[in-house]
Amino acid sequence: MAKTNQAGMSRALVRRETTAAYLFLLPCLIFFLGFVVYPMVTCFINSFTIYNTYGHSFSVATMFDNYKRMFDDKVFWQGFWNTIIIVVVSVPTVTAFSLWVGTAIYQMGPKLRSFFRCIFYLPVVTGTVAVTVVWKWMFNNYYGLFNAVGKGLGILDQNINWLGDERFAIWCIILILFTTSIGQPIVLYVAALGNVDQALIEASEVDGATKFQVFWKIKWPQIMPTTLYILVITTINSFQCFALIQLLTSGGPNGSTQTIMYYIYYQAIKLGEYGYGNAMGIILAIIIALFSAIQFKVAGKDNT
Amino acid sequence: MKKVLALLLSLAMVASLAACSVQKNGNTTDNGGATNEGGDATATEITLWTYPIGNWGKAEVVDEILAKFNEEHPEITVKVEYLDYTNGDGQVNTALEGGTAPDVIMEGPERLVANWGASGKMVDLSDLWTDEVKADIAATSAKIEGACQWTDGAYYEMPLCMTTHCMAINYEAFEAAGALQYIDEETHTWTTENFIKACEALRDAGYAVPGIIYCGGTGGDQGTRALVRNLYGAQFTNAEHTEYTMNSEAGIKGLQTLIDMVADGSMTYDAGIVASDELTLFANQTACMSFCWNASNASNYASQITFTAFPMAFPSDDGVPELDGGIWGFGIFDNGDQARIDASKTFIDWVCNSDEAANNVYNTTFFPVRSSLGDVYAGTDKASFSDFLIFMPYLGDYYAVTPKWSEQRTAWFEMLQSAFSNGDAAAALAEYDATANA
Repeated sequence: MAKTNQAGMSRALVRRETTAAYLFLLPCLIFFLGFVVYPMVTCFINSFTIYNTYGHSFSVATMFDNYKRMFDDKVFWQGFWNTIIIVVVSVPTVTAFSLWVGTAIYQMGPKLRSFFRCIFYLPVVTGTVAVTVVWKWMFNNYYGLFNAVGKGLGILDQNINWLGDERFAIWCIILILFTTSIGQPIVLYVAALGNVDQALIEASEVDGATKFQVFWKIKWPQIMPTTLYILVITTINSFQCFALIQLLTSGGPNGSTQTIMYYIYYQAIKLGEYGYGNAMGIILAIIIALFSAIQFKVAGKDNT
Repeated sequence: MKKVLALLLSLAMVASLAACSVQKNGNTTDNGGATNEGGDATATEITLWTYPIGNWGKAEVVDEILAKFNEEHPEITVKVEYLDYTNGDGQVNTALEGGTAPDVIMEGPERLVANWGASGKMVDLSDLWTDEVKADIAATSAKIEGACQWTDGAYYEMPLCMTTHCMAINYEAFEAAGALQYIDEETHTWTTENFIKACEALRDAGYAVPGIIYCGGTGGDQGTRALVRNLYGAQFTNAEHTEYTMNSEAGIKGLQTLIDMVADGSMTYDAGIVASDELTLFANQTACMSFCWNASNASNYASQITFTAFPMAFPSDDGVPELDGGIWGFGIFDNGDQARIDASKTFIDWVCNSDEAANNVYNTTFFPVRSSLGDVYAGTDKASFSDFLIFMPYLGDYYAVTPKWSEQRTAWFEMLQSAFSNGDAAAALAEYDATANA
């Protein structure tokens, strides 16, 4: 009898705690359903419709028109390849540079470490528009810093139109993206390196391991989860490169800085082609998911 | 302590949720009106979104205008939101889809008529276009009425002001280069031949940047359109405004002339800047001319300019230009509430047709569409604006109401980038034609 009562009380307790837990989760769940799941589902459905400022219609005969149009749209493909270039260049460089800086500063004194963290984190917390204005001035064809320094040092014979020349424009975008992307990874790496088990490091050093071996065999495996996280968020951020393009180049010159994200904005918001924009958004989401899955597969296998 | 902290956090979350639910962007003002002050239950609240058309983009000026409006119409409250040209279209389109469009919007026919009007979002303003209004506006230019009317006969804009876009030269630089001989200082016009000679004279005198054909985006593209179009008399669209026609012999010749000028150093092009950048370069004397000039820009850059910015019409082969016009006014989004539509019409009628219309035009820094208003700048601190009235007779066709206008604008600057980087005007315009007329 006492056993039954005890079990009954446990179930009641469990139910009460479960209810409380769900109630605590409810606000987040509402936000998640309202601002993530619902827009995703709507986006998916709308991608099969003819949806623009003139109206919204669906028919089975035209449900794949947006996708067909996308594959025939050379601007989309130009944006696709530019996006791939940005991702392929910026993700490894951001990760490698952040790891290098993190390794260099994590053993410094608290004040110096905080100073460097602030320096590298500054572009992240500074507004994109403010950052862009400064970079735009530095890249200016007529009185920009880069041309002045380049000519002053004798590196350049004449001014380079950094943002107006298709040979340079995308690299300028990648450079700015790089400076605004490294802040968070550096902070994460400094924290991760600080959490590496010192006993293991000391033991390996006693056993005669070189600095490279200590890093590669002891530290690297322990910071791998952080690396994986950095790879994924940097990839997503690079795929979603938009504000820099909008503020600096509008996708030009000659489409050399066109990206999928900017093209989605252009079609959906500027031209009101919502259905087409949604279709491109779905494809972009699939591409990002594929890249992230590959990263989890490659970088995540050591963490299992 | 933990409980207090948890309570504070909860309050913060609730407050942030409440903040999210307020449908009011940061950049808004509210003129108060009768609703707030008198608690009048019959008062109507309308929203006005305005692009930065002269001083109508400045809250302190618009607040004064609205205060005067409320003296006559205390029953209407007007909430204002200020848009910019970079993000404004996106904001309006998003609001339209979300069912939160404003009641009144201030811009030109390319948006009000050819875009939102054509897609059935706007209210027909035919009742505001009385015979008296039509006659008064026609006395200024017969093209204005047509620009405000869509092909279905409905009027989607009530115009307030207009201008003719022109260009400007650095008078002292031209003088130093001996290039003043190529301009007609009396009529502010020049021929294509003389324009080329003037640019060569500037180049030969050591001016590295005689002018810049900017094509980094759509900003100020009326300047590059007018330049290319006028050189050999090309038409930007057909007369019916159904097709873009720059891929013509005259259009190709005009563009190729500019490409050749860039090649010989008497002109430059820049795919990294838009008109606002070009204006800065003109103001700081890097460039000797600007292709994006009008009374408003003359006013905006007056404090930065230390030389004589001499306004000029765009060069044409016969010396008689066809200038691009800008017409700005008001449209009403159809939000399905007749009371708000009526209040919006009352507001528009007051702004454009009342005794205060002259002052309302004055604040646009452009010129009245209604001829009866005369010279609104005479005897004011902006009296020099009247100099720009000389260009009014050259107002050309208002073709910005042609369908796919937004797509065309992007295709245009991309076409210029392609033309100047590849040096082939015909190929670039053929590509432009295929995109704009698709």
